[in-house]
Amino acid sequence: MLSGLLWAVGLLSFPALAFGADVAPAAATEYRDIPYVGSRNLVWVVAQLHLLLAGFVLGVPIFAWLCEVVAWKTGEKRYDKLAKEFTKLLTSAYATTALFGGILLFLLVSFYPKLMNYLTDIFFPSFIVYCLLFLVETATLYLYWYGWDAMQDGGKKTFHIFLGFMLNFFAFFIMIVPNSWATFQASPVVLAEGSDIARAWAATWNPTWWPVNIHRLIANVVLGGYICGAYAGIRYLSARNTEERDHYDWMGYVGNFIGVFGLLPLPFAGYWLMREIYQYNQQMGITLMGGFLSWLFILQAMLIGVLFLGSNYYFWLGITYRIPGSELKYRKPMLSMLVILLLCLGVWMTPHSLVASLEEARKMGGTHHPLLGVFGVMSAKMTVSNLMILVTFMSFIMYWRAGKEETAGWAKAAKALMSALLVLAGIAVVVLGVWGYFVPAIVRINYFSTSQVMIVLFVMLTITPLTALLLKSARTTTEMVWGKMPPRAGYALVLNAIMVILLMTLMGYARSSSRVHWHVYGVLRDSSQYAFSPALGYAAAIMALNTFIFCMIVAFIFWVATMSDKAKASHS
Amino acid sequence: MSEVVKLQLIGLTVVGCGALILLFVRAQFARVIGFVAIVLGLFTLVALSVPQMASLPPVEEKFDIATVKTPTDMATIGQKIFFSKGQCALCHTIGPSESARCPDLKGIGAKLSREFIFESLTQPQAYIYLDYRHEGAPKEYPARMPYINKNPIGLSKNEILSVIAFLQQMSGEPISVNVAELEVPGQAPAVPVKAAQSEPVAVAQAH
Repeated sequence: MLSGLLWAVGLLSFPALAFGADVAPAAATEYRDIPYVGSRNLVWVVAQLHLLLAGFVLGVPIFAWLCEVVAWKTGEKRYDKLAKEFTKLLTSAYATTALFGGILLFLLVSFYPKLMNYLTDIFFPSFIVYCLLFLVETATLYLYWYGWDAMQDGGKKTFHIFLGFMLNFFAFFIMIVPNSWATFQASPVVLAEGSDIARAWAATWNPTWWPVNIHRLIANVVLGGYICGAYAGIRYLSARNTEERDHYDWMGYVGNFIGVFGLLPLPFAGYWLMREIYQYNQQMGITLMGGFLSWLFILQAMLIGVLFLGSNYYFWLGITYRIPGSELKYRKPMLSMLVILLLCLGVWMTPHSLVASLEEARKMGGTHHPLLGVFGVMSAKMTVSNLMILVTFMSFIMYWRAGKEETAGWAKAAKALMSALLVLAGIAVVVLGVWGYFVPAIVRINYFSTSQVMIVLFVMLTITPLTALLLKSARTTTEMVWGKMPPRAGYALVLNAIMVILLMTLMGYARSSSRVHWHVYGVLRDSSQYAFSPALGYAAAIMALNTFIFCMIVAFIFWVATMSDKAKASHS
Repeated sequence: MSEVVKLQLIGLTVVGCGALILLFVRAQFARVIGFVAIVLGLFTLVALSVPQMASLPPVEEKFDIATVKTPTDMATIGQKIFFSKGQCALCHTIGPSESARCPDLKGIGAKLSREFIFESLTQPQAYIYLDYRHEGAPKEYPARMPYINKNPIGLSKNEILSVIAFLQQMSGEPISVNVAELEVPGQAPAVPVKAAQSEPVAVAQAH
């Protein structure tokens, strides 16, 4: 009987041997799907949420560490409290991010086995590196968070700051390793021969890897800053006493400050990325900027424009409500800046070619409008984006200097120099922009646009330290008053955060769609039923859904993390 | 009801719900959710108001040799490939344009021999066309011609011959490509492609 049982078990264990000796092996499954939702949509939502959460958990430590360093250097304890408040979020946020990462991995392995086999074959050495990085990052995070109170004084504090640095150091590598997998899909470098490590390394160091690394690093700072601002905005709106109002008003100021600080250089990183894409493959660049994705960049312009307006508006509200007496002094400059920003936004949002019937296009002599067409080209868009950065930078400096009087002997000369620099930079950007219409595109792209970027960067890198130096010896004429901002300031902070999140979702769609019908561009074709990029409207609906879910997850994380504090506060 | 209309209705509903929350609810967190709903709904509605273009994978033009009877049939297929799978119109124009990234192809079928066009498509670095539209020294065009018979575009020999037929027909030239040259799938080897991307061996001047 036992032998019969063993025979039966053996038979069940090896059905192919028992019954299927003549059956040909089944073809490997390339794709799987789920009904109603669709595998692609599910992967899209989970991947986007994972990426946004990853941006959050990588952005928040940078933000927290910067605040901790400020507290350490200046002795202002409230910065240390702010840093701790945000680091507290990290343990739960980190777990949530890893959870979504795990779900994403299972979904990819299940739905896209062909692609995952291919990527694993190339990248498995970096998978191991990624796991090791996670181990050291987690250990560092535990030390950083649980050792906060124990490492407050003297050398211990220095060590804690070092731990914060290491946390960000490992986090940076945790970001760039998966970046290599994603950028490889867009700009693959495939070695036919060589060791596993050589192949993985060649694929990792692909043309768009570093531009994406830098762009994401800066974008994470922006995300961290604006999410801090949004959290502060919501808490400010629901504050029950003066102390809370003061604290969250100040927190909103810090969040917006860091968000803008990151936002100003971000377009330059984006420009570098686009240049690399064009250099890697012209068709991909043209698909992005002039092909079916060209309207996406109008939406991008709208979101960035609203973000610039929102950030400036918050600065202007700050000048008006936090620094008594400044309203009258700065009203005219603020109005001028608003007009310039709106005009620039109008130009930036002008489409390159208009939606026109064949008849209308014939009358216009093409799809370019005879008047508006002038604004729809890159020369105009580069010019206005640089001008918007300059204007926002002016707001930033104006806010910084408001309520203070410079006492240094060289203050007058420095102020004159800064004004001259700003005016000359503005003129130079416009002149290069107009001149750009009359030179070949290659000259404009390689020299004029680059010069515009360098001019604006030069202005920022000159005026920022000069202002810092000037304000070191300045006398405060009007103390900042916290907790007086109107409710709309809180909503402006929330709006800014939503714009940043939407931008990340929008550009994720752009990056993925630029590969058109390829999993790995030009190497591994997508032969699934989803080998198409959906239209912008449908994509925007998914982006909005992702943004909403992400906001709810972040709100949940904040709620969970602050639950014990609220309980403690109510007991005391 | 089309997908766009359905999404517009959803967008409007989301905006409406957000507005109702802001009007009637006092709890601050709920009001913020209402505000976020309005922003996201408006964003979706704006995205739905721009041209809705999906990027579909290129349709393989069927070369049923039995149905392709004349060079004109080939030119018709070639025209479709020119504007779709071949992605030629992404950079090239047919007629002068100041913003063209590549040489204007108007009349190109009359200016160049079919052999030269074939080589330009499959060995694009062999001769580099320069841009003489501006004063001063001629410059290279901003866009670099890809190897059209390799991925990601990857046209087959039949498809390339059809594009040449289209370019010749468009230029008012007699089509020199013959239907008999078409390869029956599975019976003929693929177009031989030189793997090495050699340096330009000559520079052609296009006035």
